[in-house]
Amino acid sequence: MEFLKKHTWWLGVIVVLAVAGISLVQQESELLLRGQELNLWLPTGLFWHTMMQYPGGAASWLGCYLTQYFYYPWLGTAILCGLWFVICLLLAWIYKLKGPQVLLTLLVPLALLACLTQTGYWIYYQKLQGHLFVPTVGVLFAVLTLCIHRVIPNRWGRMAWMTATCIAGYPFFGAWALGATGLMALPSLLSGPLTKKLVPFGVGLLLIAFVPKIYCAQVFEMTKGEYALVAAMPSMRYSADSFEQYRLPYYAIILAFLVLIATRYLQQWTNRRTLSWWMQSAIAVALVAVGIVGVKAAWYRDVNFHKELAMNRAIEECDWERVLDIAREPSDKKPTRQIVMYKNLALFRLGRCGDEMFLYPEGAEKQNAPWQIHMTQVGGKLIYYHYGKENFCYRWCMEDGVEFGWKLETLKLMARNALLNHEWEVARKYLDLIRQTTFGRQWADHYAALLRNPDCMDLQKVEAAIKAGKPILSEKDTEEFLPIMHMMTYPDRLDGDNTLVEMYLLNSFAKGNGNDLLFQEMTLICALIMKDIDLFWPRFMRYATLNPEVHMPRYYQEAAYLYGHLENKVDISRMPFDQSVKDTYDRFMQFNAQCGSMTDAQKAEAFAPMFSDTFYYFYFLVRNQKTN
Amino acid sequence: MLALALASLMACSSPTVPSSYTDRKESPQIYPDYTDVTVPVNIAPLHFHIDHSATDKAFVTRFTAGGEQWVLGGEDVRPGLKKWHQMTDAALAADGKINVEVFIQSDAQWQRFKPFSISVMKDSIDPYISYRLISPSYVTYEDLTLNQRCLENFDESLIYGNMINSDEHNGQCINCHHTQWYNPNRLQFHVRQYLGGTVIAYDGKVQKIDLKTDSTLSAGVYPTWHPTKPWIVYSTNSTGQSFHTRDPQKIEVQDTKSNLIFYNLETNEVTPITRDTTDLDCFPFWSPDGRYIYYVSAHWERRDTVNLDFELIKNYKDVQYNLYRMAFDERTHTFGPRQLVYNAVARNRSVTLPRISPDGRWLMFTQGQFGVFHIWHNDADLYLADLTRIEPDIDAPSPLPGLNETKLTHEDSVRIAQAEAIPLPAFIRPITEANSADVDSYHSWSSNGRWVVFSSRRVDGNFTRPFITYFKADGTFTKPFELPQDNPQYHRQFLRSYNIPDFMSGPVTIRPQEFAKVVRKDATKAKLKMSGK
Repeated sequence: MEFLKKHTWWLGVIVVLAVAGISLVQQESELLLRGQELNLWLPTGLFWHTMMQYPGGAASWLGCYLTQYFYYPWLGTAILCGLWFVICLLLAWIYKLKGPQVLLTLLVPLALLACLTQTGYWIYYQKLQGHLFVPTVGVLFAVLTLCIHRVIPNRWGRMAWMTATCIAGYPFFGAWALGATGLMALPSLLSGPLTKKLVPFGVGLLLIAFVPKIYCAQVFEMTKGEYALVAAMPSMRYSADSFEQYRLPYYAIILAFLVLIATRYLQQWTNRRTLSWWMQSAIAVALVAVGIVGVKAAWYRDVNFHKELAMNRAIEECDWERVLDIAREPSDKKPTRQIVMYKNLALFRLGRCGDEMFLYPEGAEKQNAPWQIHMTQVGGKLIYYHYGKENFCYRWCMEDGVEFGWKLETLKLMARNALLNHEWEVARKYLDLIRQTTFGRQWADHYAALLRNPDCMDLQKVEAAIKAGKPILSEKDTEEFLPIMHMMTYPDRLDGDNTLVEMYLLNSFAKGNGNDLLFQEMTLICALIMKDIDLFWPRFMRYATLNPEVHMPRYYQEAAYLYGHLENKVDISRMPFDQSVKDTYDRFMQFNAQCGSMTDAQKAEAFAPMFSDTFYYFYFLVRNQKTN
Repeated sequence: MLALALASLMACSSPTVPSSYTDRKESPQIYPDYTDVTVPVNIAPLHFHIDHSATDKAFVTRFTAGGEQWVLGGEDVRPGLKKWHQMTDAALAADGKINVEVFIQSDAQWQRFKPFSISVMKDSIDPYISYRLISPSYVTYEDLTLNQRCLENFDESLIYGNMINSDEHNGQCINCHHTQWYNPNRLQFHVRQYLGGTVIAYDGKVQKIDLKTDSTLSAGVYPTWHPTKPWIVYSTNSTGQSFHTRDPQKIEVQDTKSNLIFYNLETNEVTPITRDTTDLDCFPFWSPDGRYIYYVSAHWERRDTVNLDFELIKNYKDVQYNLYRMAFDERTHTFGPRQLVYNAVARNRSVTLPRISPDGRWLMFTQGQFGVFHIWHNDADLYLADLTRIEPDIDAPSPLPGLNETKLTHEDSVRIAQAEAIPLPAFIRPITEANSADVDSYHSWSSNGRWVVFSSRRVDGNFTRPFITYFKADGTFTKPFELPQDNPQYHRQFLRSYNIPDFMSGPVTIRPQEFAKVVRKDATKAKLKMSGK
């Protein structure tokens, strides 16, 4: 009972951290999973050396290592919460917090939680490697140095330790070491005679001002001077813009430390008149509540962002039905083009595009970020991969690797690109790298098995083997690779996508032609989406010729029926259209006649309940779908 | 227990050659492949990794030279610098060979692979090479660095890295580093886009020059220093790149226009050398005696009314380069008429990167089927011309106008066969002993003319690595060896390419931060000086 009474407030700390962890796993599992895919840690000297080219490299190195554990979101989160608890314990000891005051230590983990949950689209654009864990690692480093600072008995010893922390810590922990220096220097201002106050504080300031400069002038040959003070901090910059709002959780970390320092010295100053237990409790609880409100405010919640993450994972697992389930989930927002493209890919893979592509919400909602999101940097690479545009997938993987650092996800795509391109040696290189990551071995070994049999990436041989009843690819690999091999049956040409994935795919497929049924269907779909009648007819005819025994899917019929009526270039009188196609067309046109005076926007709204699932609606009333 | 631990420690640290083993007929699979290579006396130790799996995880490698032996254990065979020098010294004192035997233990049975040797030559190699490290990327260029590597050990350092002056918005490309006659104190490189200009270090003075003038296509691009004077000839280029949709070669870099200019560092003057819009002149190289500029040139007259860029993209396989030279008058700084040295186009081929040996006798170039940027062409190979036997080459037009299809028609094949039937001139031969099935491209002669370092993608087809080969007195080369690294698997893990490996007589001593300061300053504008030509 005595124990319980003494540690009740620690229970509070544990409860808050547990709730934070559970919320993180429940609400952000997809983000955490993608986070570890968009991360890379290798147990090699080269990787360490690469990280240490810039100040704060060790923080990044540790951040990358720990981020891997989000492979199991609960495990990564448990580690994160465990580290936060250690930070709380150490902070309470450093600042001699007791009773309800220990709750205040939560302010630091809450700020760290906000650093993580505000991530959103930064997950694709953040250049700081290991950024999901770096703030926690950085704070932990600072707190550990403060612990040692506290146990040093004399002023000169503490000053020497502060100097050592700054000088030895900066190359490894960058700005976090400067922060630790500041945290050691600042309290000296708050107690003792004036000279004793000013000397350590002045030394601390001088260290913060000059140590990064000296390192950048003498040691770090690649660090721009203006970044020296914020080394190992997320940049929150994209292109010409800097986004101050994302720095708030980092300022909150500083604020939290100031609160703790104030609490510590408030005790000292008001030694004779301590605040009542109730008052202390109320203030602590109120401050933690403010912290929780802050976390809630900073938490990035966007239905489309989370849908994109979930769909991406489902595509990686070739779980096409799940992709469609996610696309169908109700939402108060229109989908992004990324979602629409993922949905179309899933339908195409299931062979249901021609019958279902307009059954889902259509839209071009801008991704919810204050900068322009490019599909190439989000899901475009995966889309290129599945549509057989392996070189373009590879290209954007390489571009991203250069601009944002190498990621597990890009290496995985590049390995599979290389396999499909029959570039065995470079595939082996990527697979060997993936194998060295903490959780990548199984994945790498699976694909490495394909290296031993070059025939498995040869469409004719794979299909012949299937026909002979002796498949050379496993069921899973067949599902993944065979359609891609079909999509690669086009001749080489020099081209460029100008970073517009959707426009490029539409144009290149709609103008393509082939003998492969799957490929040919894609050319038809793209011609249909582009509403290009001249491109549509030859592809429609060719598809019908290649596929004579199968019932013509609904939307291809609707497009043919509509185009046949719009232009009289092709005689459709003998085409066996479904009665429902004709009836829908008639109803659409009748309704259109009734709505003659409406604007297009009004019509789009009026027609939607009855016709949004038709090609007619798409053709006449879905316009200006701005892609990215 | 302690004795046991000590014994096992001793066993670990002192591997011994197994007393009994079975012989295997094949050579060991090692990476890098250092079997039967020839190395200079002052090269860094050849560290290699044994690629065989051994169930007992036991590996022993024995080096023998001149009656002495050195035994190393482990999959990574890494003789230290001191040990390596003992080996090379012993080899040179005897037959010049270090013999290597690799033993592995599998299922409690020791096996010995076919022994191989490393030949050590007394001819030394220049102690440094410089290169650019770049991901084989396409548009983005973060983390680009110009580096220098001591070939006598594993020390690598930075000459200049672009990140010191770049940020998210202001990107900076750096390229085309080049020293005057191996002298690290006379170096130039370009900075493009943000804070752009050409950085020239000349005997301690570093400046940034803007070489673009109103009468030239661009700032200087591919440079060649005069062997002794402060003069540089550059190509000026209008370059674009486009992307293969299916071909694993992935990228095509093309010039739509390119000319040559002469730059006088003393007077800061740029003089156009060639200005013909139908000739694409590129990759100049000054002969060691300073009397000639060798360069490559493609003739292109517009066929269509479409934009020139699109026309060249559409017909990229038709753009083929010949090898030319122009005499240089040192007194007047003028160049004579061009002379055809090698008509590659008549043979349905395209040449690039002429580089002449320091004694002026040998010219090495890269040849592929089309284009000038052969690092992306896996048919690119190295060729050698003996300039003492130079003779006028046939001056025939390209036999293959209009050839632009990926899949050749029967007629195209016939025409190619006819074109290929034109033999190489007697003074030119492919360096088959050094070439590979993949890209072999940029090359540089050592200052004593005995070694050549060249770029190759032979390892994995994507990432360029430097290879070094010995040039024998009989005009042939030895099997090339990959640039040694302390960690033998370093290049397997490394995701950047080596670009333009060039020998230097020592390190560049100007620090990257000093270069960075110069780059931040405004560039000095070069003056235009028109010549009669």
